[in-house]
Amino acid sequence: MSNAPGSPPLHSTSAMAVELAAITKRFGAFIANDGIDLVVRRGEIHAIIGENGAGKTTLMNILFGLLQPDEGSIRLNGETTVVADPAAAIKAGLGMVHQHFKLVPSLSVADNVFLGMEIRRHGLIDHAAQIERTRDLSKRFGLHVDPTERVGLLSVGIEQRIEILKVLVRGARTIILDEPTAVLTPQESRELFQTLRSFVAEGMTVIFISHHLEEVMEVSDTVTVLRNGRKVATRPTSELSKDELVRMMVGREVSFDRRPRAALHGGAVLEVKDLWARDDRRLPAVRGASFTVRAGEVVGIAGVAGNGQTELAEVLSGLRPASHGEAWLKGRDLTMLSPAAIREAGLAHVPGDRMVRGVDRNASIAANTLMGRQHRAPWSRGGVLDWKAIAGNAGALIKSFDIRAQGSGDPVKRLSGGNIQKVVLAREFTNGADFLLIDQPTRGVDIGAQEAIHDEIMRQRAAGRAILLISVQLDELAALADRILVMFNGRIMGEVAGDDADEDRIGMMMAGVSPELEPA
Amino acid sequence: MMNDRLRAFSGQIIAIGVALLLGAIIILMVGESPVRVLMTLLRGAFGDQEKIAGTLLQTTPILICGVAACIGLRGGMFNVGIEGQLFLGGFAAAWVGFSFSLPPGIHTLAALALAIAAGAAWVAIPAYFRARYNTNEVVSTILSNYIAVLLTSYFTIFLFKRPGGWSETPPILATAYLPEIFSFSRLNWGLAIGLLLAVGVALVFRYTSWGYGVTMVGSAPKFAEYGGVNVKRQGFVVLLLSGAVGGLAGGVETLGVHHRFMEGFAPGFGFDGLIAALLANGSPVATIVTALFFGALRSGSLLLEVDTSASREIITVIQALIILSVSAQVLIKRRGDSQAGERRWKF
Repeated sequence: MSNAPGSPPLHSTSAMAVELAAITKRFGAFIANDGIDLVVRRGEIHAIIGENGAGKTTLMNILFGLLQPDEGSIRLNGETTVVADPAAAIKAGLGMVHQHFKLVPSLSVADNVFLGMEIRRHGLIDHAAQIERTRDLSKRFGLHVDPTERVGLLSVGIEQRIEILKVLVRGARTIILDEPTAVLTPQESRELFQTLRSFVAEGMTVIFISHHLEEVMEVSDTVTVLRNGRKVATRPTSELSKDELVRMMVGREVSFDRRPRAALHGGAVLEVKDLWARDDRRLPAVRGASFTVRAGEVVGIAGVAGNGQTELAEVLSGLRPASHGEAWLKGRDLTMLSPAAIREAGLAHVPGDRMVRGVDRNASIAANTLMGRQHRAPWSRGGVLDWKAIAGNAGALIKSFDIRAQGSGDPVKRLSGGNIQKVVLAREFTNGADFLLIDQPTRGVDIGAQEAIHDEIMRQRAAGRAILLISVQLDELAALADRILVMFNGRIMGEVAGDDADEDRIGMMMAGVSPELEPA
Repeated sequence: MMNDRLRAFSGQIIAIGVALLLGAIIILMVGESPVRVLMTLLRGAFGDQEKIAGTLLQTTPILICGVAACIGLRGGMFNVGIEGQLFLGGFAAAWVGFSFSLPPGIHTLAALALAIAAGAAWVAIPAYFRARYNTNEVVSTILSNYIAVLLTSYFTIFLFKRPGGWSETPPILATAYLPEIFSFSRLNWGLAIGLLLAVGVALVFRYTSWGYGVTMVGSAPKFAEYGGVNVKRQGFVVLLLSGAVGGLAGGVETLGVHHRFMEGFAPGFGFDGLIAALLANGSPVATIVTALFFGALRSGSLLLEVDTSASREIITVIQALIILSVSAQVLIKRRGDSQAGERRWKF
């Protein structure tokens, strides 16, 4: 317990707590981190911001010894260190609070904090001393945790504080938090920020991963922005504005050209009126969204991930209850219907988490193309399946959607990400629905398949389908959408025409600045 | 395709191999020859036509219970309460058998029908709590076993005890018997029921729209929900059907073998069935083979104490080893799976 918090740092010679140089990490052909340099000064709160898949967590896992970099070097407190495993990282004064907590629900707070490094007296666990130490630390950093309480009875917010206590007790001087606010209420987030400030006040260092602009602006001293595995910039927070930050996160690179299109004026297919929904924490995630999608129209929803897009898609597909409002699809209110009834009413859905929602990875392509139509002729007659017809249809879909597979009996898990997505599209686009709900269609898909998927979406538009396209990629929306709605914090901030997708305006709205407040 | 299937069962075969190897070591440790024990087991299980019939007689309830477990597993539900459903089904069939006087055939069918209803009703309680409050069905079905076994004992001893007899009900009328197949054995048409059921259930899962939905609930619940399958309702239905078949197993045992209900009338068949189903990877047809394996172990063990110095309990040890190695194998597989973001069976 020589390096308990508050005692002088072990190596106080360097002003830098962490220096990462040219870190590269590949997973197969995918480059998660591409030559990233990162310098974190001692005593600062350093935010690392970027969208999902930008490489934040990979980088932190490398720093903490959970992953080994393919290239690059790590200096901790000025000394070059090989962080072989988390034990080495902890020894060097690092501590990490993961997104998913690892606590024993049946044990007390203090027992959890000291698990694996119990204070012993005459060979027995000294519970009194553990409780005492936990209480002291909790008080010192304003964590408000009762060390005698059983963990199973506590809220997620308190569990996070226990994880922080665990890190402190193990002597961490530099604390890494991976998306700490994702599980917290706004009130709990504010309290967490207080605690983080008290850490730096005692000379400790905080590295804070997030994709929420607001909190980064509020709490950090320095921001590093990652995008697609590369570092965009490291800047003092005070020199940055929110929309600058958004632009750095989202980027300006345009990989798609705007698709030519005929003007189509169909009637309204989907009408959403003042729709509200709560997220898994029971907090409002969609707050009064209203919009219309017409036949032959692609309406895009832009926004930084986590601003209510997922919940909106789940409500429209019946997977999440609406807390208020209406969503009319061809005269039926979706908020009153089950997922099966919504499909019956005319929904096709390409889900954002395709591996979990979109397919059964272990089942064959044929079985995957059957979902949602297993009660319909000609695939089923009198409740009996005609596998010959199903396999024949799957074979035809493999051909027409150019799915690279040996046959319809192949299990989906043998296909590449792009081809799995094509299986989902093939199933959903051929079920005769008038309304297509498409969520992140090209995430994690190679360029060739992206083009093919965009072609298919445009074909559906030409066929007169009403399409709601949710994407975090602005260039994708600019290429496909007739109108782009920008979502921030559960609200639709405004609308931009697709052929006039002014990135600055969209960026402002994505950062939460309402266009009405700006001088025109 | 064939390769996939082989790969799916290779883990099971390895698990049995490891268990038998460990069993051999234990047999060596008690000073007996594993080869002699194995030969005795084989002779006891398949030595002559009576022994084969005896093995099939033991196989029947394990097979029906195994099919019950398969139905649950297919829909992602772990029905560990088959033992209890078997006891209640056995009692219900006996009650119809000795309380009513009906024409032959109809009497048997009526008794089996009530056995099925009793099994389904008994699992309906944990199934309801699972669907309504997401209570873990493993825990609630395990606990319901104890209640079922003791409840049937209570019925037998305090309400329907045969005067002057053991802890058993009066015998059922001959009109309710499941007829025997051969004159030399108690082996009865229950075996045919089991075989038909195994094949029938496999066909239903493979070739019906309902079976497709249930299979998807078991293997990819979020995908099934997304596709419009009512995951909670199907979980409830699957548990109910599993319990119904568990009750049927008890009815068959009562009407075919014992012709009365008695305390501890069919110990462990429910659990053996569950293990047989797990060993068969949840496939009802493969359960025919694994149930035969457990049936042979049971009937072969009868000769063990006569012909070798090994105790009959060695069979229980081997069974326990198989359970351990199969569950270890399931766990290892699940760990591999969950890294890919999915769970096949949940505890």
